[in-house]
Amino acid sequence: MKKRTVAAVVGAMLGAAVVAAPAHAQDVKLGLMAAISGPIAALAPPMAAASKLAVAHVNEQGGILKGGKLEVVLGDSACNPQNATDAATKAVNIDRVLAIVGPACSGAVIATANSVAIPAGVLMITPSGTSPEITKLKDKDLVYRTLPSDDYQGRALARTLKARGITKVAVAYLNNDYGKGLAESFKAEFEANGGTIAGYSGHEEGKASYRSELATLARGGADTLIIFDYGDGTGLSLIRQALENNFFKTFVGADGMKSEGLVKAIGAANLGGFFVSAPVGEASASLDNFNKAYKAAGENIDAVFATTSYDAAFLAALAIEKAGGDKAKLAESLRAVAMAPGEPIMAGEWAKAKKLIAEGKDIDYKGAGGDHEFDAAGDVPGNYAFFKVSGTGYESIADMK
Amino acid sequence: MDLLGLANYAVFMGILIGIYALLSLGLNIQWGFTGLFNAGIAGFFAVGAYASAILTSLPASGRLGGYELPLVVGWLASMAAAAAIAWPIGKICLRFRSDYLAIATIGIAEIIRLVIRTEGWLTGGVRGVTGVPRPFGDLDYMPSQLAYLAIVATLVLVAYLLVERQVKAPWGRMMRAIRDNELAAAAMGKQVEARRLQAFVFGSALMGLAGALFVHFNRSITPEAIDPMIATFLIWIMLILGGSGNNRGAILGAAVIWIIWSVSELLTDRLPTEIAVQAKYARVFIIGLTLQLVLRFRPEGILPERQAGAPPHR
Repeated sequence: MKKRTVAAVVGAMLGAAVVAAPAHAQDVKLGLMAAISGPIAALAPPMAAASKLAVAHVNEQGGILKGGKLEVVLGDSACNPQNATDAATKAVNIDRVLAIVGPACSGAVIATANSVAIPAGVLMITPSGTSPEITKLKDKDLVYRTLPSDDYQGRALARTLKARGITKVAVAYLNNDYGKGLAESFKAEFEANGGTIAGYSGHEEGKASYRSELATLARGGADTLIIFDYGDGTGLSLIRQALENNFFKTFVGADGMKSEGLVKAIGAANLGGFFVSAPVGEASASLDNFNKAYKAAGENIDAVFATTSYDAAFLAALAIEKAGGDKAKLAESLRAVAMAPGEPIMAGEWAKAKKLIAEGKDIDYKGAGGDHEFDAAGDVPGNYAFFKVSGTGYESIADMK
Repeated sequence: MDLLGLANYAVFMGILIGIYALLSLGLNIQWGFTGLFNAGIAGFFAVGAYASAILTSLPASGRLGGYELPLVVGWLASMAAAAAIAWPIGKICLRFRSDYLAIATIGIAEIIRLVIRTEGWLTGGVRGVTGVPRPFGDLDYMPSQLAYLAIVATLVLVAYLLVERQVKAPWGRMMRAIRDNELAAAAMGKQVEARRLQAFVFGSALMGLAGALFVHFNRSITPEAIDPMIATFLIWIMLILGGSGNNRGAILGAAVIWIIWSVSELLTDRLPTEIAVQAKYARVFIIGLTLQLVLRFRPEGILPERQAGAPPHR
């Protein structure tokens, strides 16, 4: 009896879903796998809003293909592989999306790529998966991302320090995927270039004192401490305690350390030897376009991953337009629209891009979050600069190669 | 939408339901038949997943692995590893009763998760293990999914038959006796401690196998997959709803909860886009509500435990 009731309920739910699914021949669907529930739930709404803004730009400026609308299929990837593969399977099989933007977390990206996107031949662009493992996927050229791998920044920072004559450092990293990923790639590149790592250790966040960790690191004899951490969190305690005890003279951080709160708390006068690397938007006109539109949509322009989410959705739309809606040609088309050479297209310039594609001209999308010149693995190089403390903020002193 | 897509989706659901059914069966041995409150399912799931991943994956720098052993070895090893971890834990913790055991196992699952996150040489740390082979993974999308479903379904069936055989045997009656009245069972000369340990190890081995099936399906495992919400509490809900103490109930519960969880998203997607993001949270609420309703109106679950010799329920 009960079994039949359950079967009936399930049947009714499936049936309702079938009936409710709208079908318009001209319309194109884009899967948006946002981590709405789960550990990074707070980041998801601004990311989804940014991707939807890109879709709105497409629909306001002539739509996609022959006057069709680009529709968003929003899935909850919940930052774990179980939910992400489930959401992506639905998007691919039930909603028949042509491309997927997301998922957000690296583990979810890898699982979704392996068990859904690659076998089903669906293009996938993640706006926030930074794990170097994504580079290694055997992805039939289907998996891309609009932000650099963690690997990139660590290596660039190592080369920059070497070029500035620093050869002996100690490394302290926060023990999560961000801190550890940066530390590992930094260490590999620094040692490969002949540098010495005189101390190397991970720490947990939120402790009251890091003096014993700092003392151990200082014992190696390095004057420079590299900190892969967050400047609003543990990174602040590390610098403060290292200065108080005179363990190190120079401090170098990655983008997470570029915090104005840190300058305020410690004081610019005490931070003469503090440097950070951080991404810089090269195509600033494109970023301005995005910021203006994003602000007008009532969102906060400082939201993390907002620019990359916008770019991922906009690039997917451009690729669909270029491929004429043919799923098999999407990867090739994505490379054509995203990479040089071609007429530059800024964020929000859908009408112009559509016209150029219709005329058969090559375009090159310069996104709000970067130029998006994909390499063979579908990764993008980052644009990073080296900053020093100046006044209450930071000032760029050199580009990083 | 077309039927092929729907079928593909159904096959995918079948695979995940099968994996959760194994977890639920494992928990049923521990809780349903023996009364052990194991709140650390995620830990044993993780041990099984990583054991198989490390043994069968392609070589990678910076972590153990690259043995590229056959899948069967990986799967047997996943059960053996989960059982081997469960044994000392059981030895120490099974002296605790109900709530205390729950707290101890939560702690142990958390320890396992942190070890996996931090011991990069062993598990790849936060980046996890990738390059894990998938049986029939080279076929096209649909045939590959179907083949995997067949493997999962076979293993669930075998596990179900074995567990069913075991609990119908005198062993099963003895376990129930220990669960329902430990003192009486001990007075009759049953070795309570040893039996409880047996059930704990046996159930954990099944959880380990589920982990192995999961890792080969996704060809990868990262610490994100062993979140307690999705790898411990969801399984408890499945078992309670399906009917603890009934193996068919355990499997049915896994199917019902996963279908509600997955299909409800299709329904919330039909809501206006302004509230689409908020509507996603409703799914978590629906699962909680279902559990509340079941506990209120049918605490014994959809398929209650069948007592030998007792008249059929209602």
